[in-house]
Amino acid sequence: MGSGRGAHRTLRSPAGHMRLLRVFPLVLILVGAVLLFERPAYGYADPGTGLLAIQAAGSALVATGWYLRRKIYALFHRQAAAKREAGELPDSADGEDTSNP
Amino acid sequence: MNGPAEPACWLSSLPSGDNELELTFRDPAGQLRLTADCALRQIRPSAEEETRAFLASPMRAALERSGDLIPSRIASPDTYSSIAPGELWLEHPRIDPISYPWEWTTAQWRAAAEVTLRVASQAIAAGWTLKDATPLNILFAGPRPILVDVLSFERRDPGSTVWLAYGQFVRTFLLPLVAAKYLSWPLHATLFARDGYEPGEIYKALPFWRRFTPDLIDVVTLATRFEHRGATQSGSKKRSSAADPELATHILEKRIARLGKQIRHAAGEQGRSQWSRYEQSASHYRPADVAAKQQFVKRALGISRPAHVLDIGANTGTYSLMAAESGAEVVALESDSAALEALWQNAAREKRPITALVANIARPTPAAGWRNREHLSLLDRLTGKFDLVLMLAVIHHLILREQLPLAHIAGLCAHLTRRWLLLEWVPPADPMFQEWLRGRDDLYGHLTEDDLSRAFAPFFVTIDRTELGNGRVLLLLQRTPEQAATTPLAQAPPTESNPP
Repeated sequence: MGSGRGAHRTLRSPAGHMRLLRVFPLVLILVGAVLLFERPAYGYADPGTGLLAIQAAGSALVATGWYLRRKIYALFHRQAAAKREAGELPDSADGEDTSNP
Repeated sequence: MNGPAEPACWLSSLPSGDNELELTFRDPAGQLRLTADCALRQIRPSAEEETRAFLASPMRAALERSGDLIPSRIASPDTYSSIAPGELWLEHPRIDPISYPWEWTTAQWRAAAEVTLRVASQAIAAGWTLKDATPLNILFAGPRPILVDVLSFERRDPGSTVWLAYGQFVRTFLLPLVAAKYLSWPLHATLFARDGYEPGEIYKALPFWRRFTPDLIDVVTLATRFEHRGATQSGSKKRSSAADPELATHILEKRIARLGKQIRHAAGEQGRSQWSRYEQSASHYRPADVAAKQQFVKRALGISRPAHVLDIGANTGTYSLMAAESGAEVVALESDSAALEALWQNAAREKRPITALVANIARPTPAAGWRNREHLSLLDRLTGKFDLVLMLAVIHHLILREQLPLAHIAGLCAHLTRRWLLLEWVPPADPMFQEWLRGRDDLYGHLTEDDLSRAFAPFFVTIDRTELGNGRVLLLLQRTPEQAATTPLAQAPPTESNPP
């Protein structure tokens, strides 16, 4: 997922925000690509057509959150990030999972 | 889990030939047989390796310890002559009687759904998955739901983000609860819906604005939209996704968590009914009458010392709990689901061995499923299994509302009990009798306790009797020896997807 410090450095400036906005669609495309590389699976119970599609869509949402979780976390914890940069907080506070439920 | 060994062996009482019952015939991995005190599951060779791996897994041991999964052990050919050398058979304890989802209250549905999700979540964490997830794989052992289908487990593809049983869980657990909550479709209607409801059925019935409720938008509205699109494209090809294993586990855990939230919302608070408040509002019972009734029931329990009790018209379960506290395993029948919900919650809280079924003894649950041989009728499951049957404040319902003659009621009681019957006679002067008499005095207004005695005399003798201050009469009856010796109606075994 990359370093937490790197993410915080990126977010400190408006240019950093812009970079994040550029990364977001790229992550979406990557997640979509991952989910498109599918192979047949066989089950005992009927998975349904619509409900199977709902799973794929839900997977994409959660996967997006998963890939972006550190960045999303950093967006809401910029001050803490800044303090961490200054060495006042340990790195272990970073990386909390805030992906979609 | 199971009570003491029953007098009749299930296998010996099974119908044969054309009437043979259809047990777990859908599952390609195995089949089930029932003996007097255990369930035997044959594992087909194709599923043997997977089953042995499952049996050896720490997850299986943990689930059994938690009580969420039926215990299993490998059955020995030395114990069971029907097992050929080299075959793999599992032995499970019997859960008796079987209860079907169409006999559960809303809270029982929720408990069954939650145990399924709990097991699914633990399986995912351990590298396994549930290949099916239906209420028919859950049985209630007393008030506690237990997953009984050990063949539901299979090792999962670590990179798969799809839970193949998700659709079945939504159709069979979530959508019936949604339909009950928002559309007032009764849960007992699931008797006719083995695989639950399709999202499109619910979508069509929901009011327009309800389709966009956050808890329904994915499983009902979007699923219906995708269903149409999928049907016009490539059909229902089953696919799974390849992903980072850690991410795949994360996605599956989130999916299970969301389903848990949706189930909690769909199985919201139950309303009250006339009968769920019956004991608090019963003006025809003074405290002294209640005390005298409870004293008589205690005395009857002391005389009969039953191991198995059937409480017909159990209401909120005062007397079921008394019987359970005396050491009996109890089956409580009540047609009012709000009253039975209170009973089940009390039994669950106090950990009493009470199986609660939403059922009306005058219109008992019919046999159902394939050729009417997959799911047993209520009477097939209950007949001849009880040492004591309680029929407290029920007989006037059967006479006046169901229009049943006393002799027929006596005949049914004689089939249900092996020995004892505790009956409350409600005379025509009683306010509740009068409430339902409704001008039919010529038909029922003349009934007396003597009429009751005459109707029950061919089957029972009176052992104890007391008259309450309100005019009601409590009778402890015992089956006459020749009746007690009569073999009860043929019993039939259970089925669901793969139940013991």
